[in-house]
Amino acid sequence: MRHRTALHLLLLVSALGRAPLAGQVPGTVVFAIPADPTLPLPALSDQTFNTDLADQLFLRLAILGPTFRTAGDNAMTPMLARRWQRVDPLTLVFELDPRARWQDGTPVTARDVVFTWQLMMDPMVGKGRIMMEPVASVEGLGTGKVRVRFKRPFAEQLYLFSFNMQPLPAHLLEGIAPAAVARSDFATGPIGNGPYRYVRRVPGQFVELRADPTFFLGAPTLARVVLRIAPDATARTNLLLAGETDVMGDVPAPDVPKIRDVPSLALVNISHNLVLWVGMNQRAAGRDTPHPILTDRRVREALRLALDRRTMATSVFGPGTGAPDAAQSQLWSWVTGGNLMGTPQNVARARALLAGAGWRDADGDGIVERNGTPLRLQLIYPSSSGPRHSLAVQAQAMWRTAGVEVELNRIERLDFTERMAAGRFDLTIDGGQQDVTPSSLTQRWSCASAADSSSLNTLRWCDPTFDRLLATAETAADPVAAYRAALGRMASEVPAIVLAAPLNQVAVHRRYANVQIWPAKSWLSLWQWRVRPDVALPRDR
Amino acid sequence: MTGWLLRRSADALFTTLLAAVALIALVHLLPGDPLTAIIGDRPIDAAQRAALEATWGTNRPPLEAIGATLAQLARGDLGISLATQRPVATLIAERIGPTLLLGALTLLVTFTIGLSLGLWSALHPTTVRARLIGSLTLIGYALPSFVIGMLLVWLLAVQSGWLPPAGFADPLLEVDAGFSAVLLDRLQHLALPLLTMVLATVAVPMRQQRAAALATVDQPWVRAARARGVSGARLALHHVWRPALTPIVTLVGLWLPMLVAGAVFVEALFGWPGLGSLIASSTSSRDLPVVIGSGLLLVVLVQIGSLVADLLYRLVNPAQRGA
Repeated sequence: MRHRTALHLLLLVSALGRAPLAGQVPGTVVFAIPADPTLPLPALSDQTFNTDLADQLFLRLAILGPTFRTAGDNAMTPMLARRWQRVDPLTLVFELDPRARWQDGTPVTARDVVFTWQLMMDPMVGKGRIMMEPVASVEGLGTGKVRVRFKRPFAEQLYLFSFNMQPLPAHLLEGIAPAAVARSDFATGPIGNGPYRYVRRVPGQFVELRADPTFFLGAPTLARVVLRIAPDATARTNLLLAGETDVMGDVPAPDVPKIRDVPSLALVNISHNLVLWVGMNQRAAGRDTPHPILTDRRVREALRLALDRRTMATSVFGPGTGAPDAAQSQLWSWVTGGNLMGTPQNVARARALLAGAGWRDADGDGIVERNGTPLRLQLIYPSSSGPRHSLAVQAQAMWRTAGVEVELNRIERLDFTERMAAGRFDLTIDGGQQDVTPSSLTQRWSCASAADSSSLNTLRWCDPTFDRLLATAETAADPVAAYRAALGRMASEVPAIVLAAPLNQVAVHRRYANVQIWPAKSWLSLWQWRVRPDVALPRDR
Repeated sequence: MTGWLLRRSADALFTTLLAAVALIALVHLLPGDPLTAIIGDRPIDAAQRAALEATWGTNRPPLEAIGATLAQLARGDLGISLATQRPVATLIAERIGPTLLLGALTLLVTFTIGLSLGLWSALHPTTVRARLIGSLTLIGYALPSFVIGMLLVWLLAVQSGWLPPAGFADPLLEVDAGFSAVLLDRLQHLALPLLTMVLATVAVPMRQQRAAALATVDQPWVRAARARGVSGARLALHHVWRPALTPIVTLVGLWLPMLVAGAVFVEALFGWPGLGSLIASSTSSRDLPVVIGSGLLLVVLVQIGSLVADLLYRLVNPAQRGA
């Protein structure tokens, strides 16, 4: 159902402007981004403010289809690659679109793909080193075909390579050492193969792009894209409300009513890849011994049952926010079927579970004890996050009703990162934007990542059964059932308590037609938007 | 005077060096993994970590890292930003212009208004208007600058549409727009951040000036001037204001570094592309070379401010000239 909802929302946005387009205006779109995109080269940076810009300049071999499904050889929509062929379980051959050109007129060839893959694998650049680890080799077959061999068979081979490969021009970069590409002239004036040309960047202020009329998939119907830099979320909202920007993603829930009051703006919900959870450390804080309290599954489940997560999530992120039992965002609806509401609050059951684990309130002070020691835990979260603070305060009050005392420790972000890496915490509010594919769960929740001190698995969570289910899903022809089983296992073992899997609330000016906003990579179809001439603004002409 | 200036400059240089060493040492002792600025949240393998650490020198023991940074600075090299991989000097150069513009105008407007109001209040201390001025400026001082800014944005930009809510310039202004169009655009974008800064700070010079002038109005030379029939602007400026200027000169010197670092909230709220926001973002991402580079700039500005203040102090206070 959620899957249908996500698709439906996309279509709803598309229907914002269905008026017949008599005549055409060049059109401009202005949106605000949180940081200066100084490195808009896809192989070198994966920060959203860089990749949002890079997506207008550099095409991917293919993009996700409307279902966002990542498994299988039919999941993707061609872009730079016009087709692909499965040779054997370990080999794919991509055929590049022969019409594709760099904006200096040079054809896009297999050499560009091979060069970019090598750049991604370079340890000094290496944005994609871990991501592309399953790729054994990439080689050109003439100028127009690329053969990709994988180390092992898995269902997401096509997605992995085609979605994450945005070729850079080998003929312009081959003479530059990989580590120096970020400091090269190319980085400050990139030449792409996408729908827009890089015109200028005014440091700290904005970046301007202009449509490339020779773009081989068709001239963009929006002539100009301006990305204004506004680090503060309030400033971004103010720019939108004052009519200086046209689009804003990730609208903070408190700003939603203000935007609803502006007749020229439409507010739509898109599936989001954000998810926040309370992680429970499996090590004793700061040591390598098992955590004396949180290694007990009954305690973890009790902590989850004590929370009214639906109320918490809605109060912070607004209606439509999910709170599933496993760490899954709205984006994986093709796997989950849209079931994003987890176990409801049950304080009595939470108390019973705690009692079963030996935690009882013997002295009547409202806090349970075991062997005379009260159940006290410390929750850390970064001070920079307002939503996390709000969730933490609510959780603290609810845990107390179940007899658990949780001390909130709101700390500076760097200190937070340091303590997470060192394991100096009991509970943490963690999370962030999930990868498009559920196979990325291995990065945080697998036994292999638990053994790697530099991995994202700061909880040191390890469940061999979960690993096995995930491995099954990765190789299954139809991985949905196996992914569901893996997520079900995670839900039952409770390594974390998911607090919110929100929707992405996007505000769009109503003068645009043919609007499509993609979950995770919002602006992939920006070049196909158009402005309705009857409601065009002066900046559109 | 020349001898004093040389001695004072040597002192300033020595203090700058000491402060720079302390700054570098403190920054290197900050918690957290410096590679975070490069890799963000994405996982990396051991080989990649080793290569990055070796290249950026982030795995060196603190003393060695401090020494290496000092040696690099001695060569006049501020280093490369870990986050953007661009020269720190370039990043600072890109951002310092808007910061100095906002800061210099804030200084000019705040002191012009503050000194005028302070002097007027001292000369008319018992009037309702003077009390009103004192109360209003204190309210402005008591309110956090971002609260003032948010109120102004809501009223003057979002609700009325009179002024742009954020930014340094209109990105849609044509590249070949005429001088007057560009000037008007810049003034419009400058208005709200400047007004916010002025409202938030004008109480300081106003009250300093008022206190200094109040201490002066009863001095014998002022009474003598009044007895001679001197009044109005001549009495205020020549006999009261000038002798009461000494503490203000010190204040101006101390304000110089604030021009760079003091507007972090205002820069964030107004999307002002200045050094304050660079310092904030580099500190939060642990981009050590940028933190050190911008910190050093502040150290130098503090020293220059202090030197300028001492120099002005001697100029306005003849008794100090022979010292």
